[in-house]
Amino acid sequence: MLCDWLHLGPQEWLQFVNKEVKVKAGNDDELRGWLHTVDPVSASLVLVTFGHQGASVVVLMGHAVRELQVLREADEVTSQRLRTCFLPHRKPRLEPQEVKRRKAGLQRWLEENRLPVEEDGERLVVGGALSVAPPYGPEDCESSNQIILLRIQSLIRDAQLHTD
Amino acid sequence: MSIPVSVLRLPRGPDPNSRGFDPQSPRFIALCTTSIPTSAASHDTEQLQEEQRVRSMLRENFLRCLLSVNNKKVHFHMLEKVNVEATFGSSDIDVLNFQVSDLHTPIGVQKEALIRSRDVISFTFDL
Repeated sequence: MLCDWLHLGPQEWLQFVNKEVKVKAGNDDELRGWLHTVDPVSASLVLVTFGHQGASVVVLMGHAVRELQVLREADEVTSQRLRTCFLPHRKPRLEPQEVKRRKAGLQRWLEENRLPVEEDGERLVVGGALSVAPPYGPEDCESSNQIILLRIQSLIRDAQLHTD
Repeated sequence: MSIPVSVLRLPRGPDPNSRGFDPQSPRFIALCTTSIPTSAASHDTEQLQEEQRVRSMLRENFLRCLLSVNNKKVHFHMLEKVNVEATFGSSDIDVLNFQVSDLHTPIGVQKEALIRSRDVISFTFDL
């Protein structure tokens, strides 16, 4: 039902968002799903299908769209799910005591491993090259040196294994 | 865990013979517009503002989607019936190239790779 998908423009694309669509793709595949968004830079479609075990997503490149057909409008429940499915999961806020305990624990572990650690507010700075923010997990490390980053991350993972 | 194969032929970087990654190459010029422009017809500032607002919202949702794919296993469905699996890294700003790790190809696993979005029809992943 549509050609020239690439040149429709944001307001036209918006008409299809939040609807279930059937799309014919470049390789003659037919894709179906709830249209979450259309990237205005590449006209790529983000199609979401909700299953029993969560959602699966297909990103179809704008240049591969041949035909598009609207099947139906999303109801309130599906709209809500579409709105929230890509939002980052909020990490639960830790109690200040827990933050202190974890910080002290990590500092002790790093010093046991002969690494120079300094406090910088809530952060720990290791060897002046890497900093760790609360809650002091491997993903909370920041460094411009990849080797140091990998080393400290694996050290923190080892610490977590010891305490669990 | 699969052992990475040594790279036989690199997609070379920004020198004149880089076969499609180079912005000056004929392939790039023919196939890759860097961005879809705003509608030239709107002299009406209110209409333009509304268009920009919609653009921003659509783009933000798309970027959040890309953020959520980071480090996930994805299946790429590409031209010439090529289907490969990789761990998604990131996309560049114009969605022209995808950076992936552990790309499973018929000749082995490439530890790091760049995939041209023009060669991709779609990619899928689970949330």
